[in-house]
Amino acid sequence: MNTFNDDRRDDNDELSEILNDLPQVDPPPSLVPTVMSTIAELANAPVTQPQVTYIRRGSRMAKKVLWSVAAVAAVALIALKVVGYPPVEQGTEATIGAAQRYQESQISASDVKVEDQQFQAFLQSDLFRQLANDKAAQDALKNQDLQKALADASVRAALARADIRYAIANVRLARVEARNDVIASLKLDAKSQAALEAALNTSPALLRVIANANIADAIANSSLAQALARSDAALALSNNAVLQAISQASFNARNDASVNVSTNAVSK
Amino acid sequence: MVDTDDAAVVARCLAGEHNAYEAIVSRYQKGLFNVALRMLGNYEDARDATQTAFIKAYEHLDSFNPEQRFFNWLFRILKNECLNSLRGRRAAEPVSVGLAATNRADPVEERERHQAVQSALLTLSVEYREVVVLRHFTDLSYDEIAATLGIPAKTVKSRLYTARQQLGERLAGWHVAR
Repeated sequence: MNTFNDDRRDDNDELSEILNDLPQVDPPPSLVPTVMSTIAELANAPVTQPQVTYIRRGSRMAKKVLWSVAAVAAVALIALKVVGYPPVEQGTEATIGAAQRYQESQISASDVKVEDQQFQAFLQSDLFRQLANDKAAQDALKNQDLQKALADASVRAALARADIRYAIANVRLARVEARNDVIASLKLDAKSQAALEAALNTSPALLRVIANANIADAIANSSLAQALARSDAALALSNNAVLQAISQASFNARNDASVNVSTNAVSK
Repeated sequence: MVDTDDAAVVARCLAGEHNAYEAIVSRYQKGLFNVALRMLGNYEDARDATQTAFIKAYEHLDSFNPEQRFFNWLFRILKNECLNSLRGRRAAEPVSVGLAATNRADPVEERERHQAVQSALLTLSVEYREVVVLRHFTDLSYDEIAATLGIPAKTVKSRLYTARQQLGERLAGWHVAR
């Protein structure tokens, strides 16, 4: 016999009692840190160029005008190329070379020989430029242990989890030489703990990474955190050519900055 | 009902003080997580849905109307996350309904009953399940549930009635089997 649905009794019947009897379950302790860590990343992320917004704000006519101008410009360039105008005079090559010297700070595909085409998009991304301008991230990426660790897929999978990055950076570990101590101290939920265990099993270098306070901090608090959160970017960071490209772009950026300072000083 | 505390925290977040958001997460995490847990019947899915709901809410704080109750707005975001999670779940995928701790005289029977209730909840359609969850796992009144779901209080009562009938039928089967 059905004991529950015999009338429209409100909240005082047996069914309500049974429903109300279901216990409240505590949320995982990592919930708040994970949310706040992700929010910190979002808050620190630079605003991207609002090119799309401009286009959306414009009318349909504005798009037509844009396309028309682009088409006219393309036709004009092709015509000039065919006609051979302007003629190149002798003695101007060096001048042009000198003028172009400081316009090459952007890394292009030809600057770095990255064999795998999948990394080209990363080289052109905002995140790449952020990494090139982030000293903490670069210092961390120069570390051999981190490089070794990032070559391992299970490490990348583990570090993609915000709660693991947050725990590594924020839990002060008494001992980091013992793998099991580290895992226990970080107090992760079951899924993250399993991910970290898998990573430590396949990559002993990760333990040394965790032991290094500066790198641990960079993993959670620099633009490196954003890169690790994205599987494509983390994979790119496991590629030596990409790491060289970041280093090169950083050098170029510093060089350009110093050239600008010198130029300003001269012009005064 | 406007919660001035929440509105003040939202205003601080919008002014760039993102750490202020921790007060909101701490305040609502348990309620929201338990709602997600009863809607999804799976601890890890509930955790993911709750985390994502908080993050999405933060990303769209500027669209929050301070005249509303923050929980209502947050719940709608969570509900969408739960629906996404349910859509992504394979039909044959089992759910972990063993979510209950117990301290009664017959813990085995109580655990079985909790599992039966959670299983029965998961057989309800989302429309019915959400009214049951909001009624029994939060402190909301009928009017507050109506405001949260954006439906008349009469509809809440009607859905709750049907949901309880369906739950009763399913749990009666469990009773008889015992």
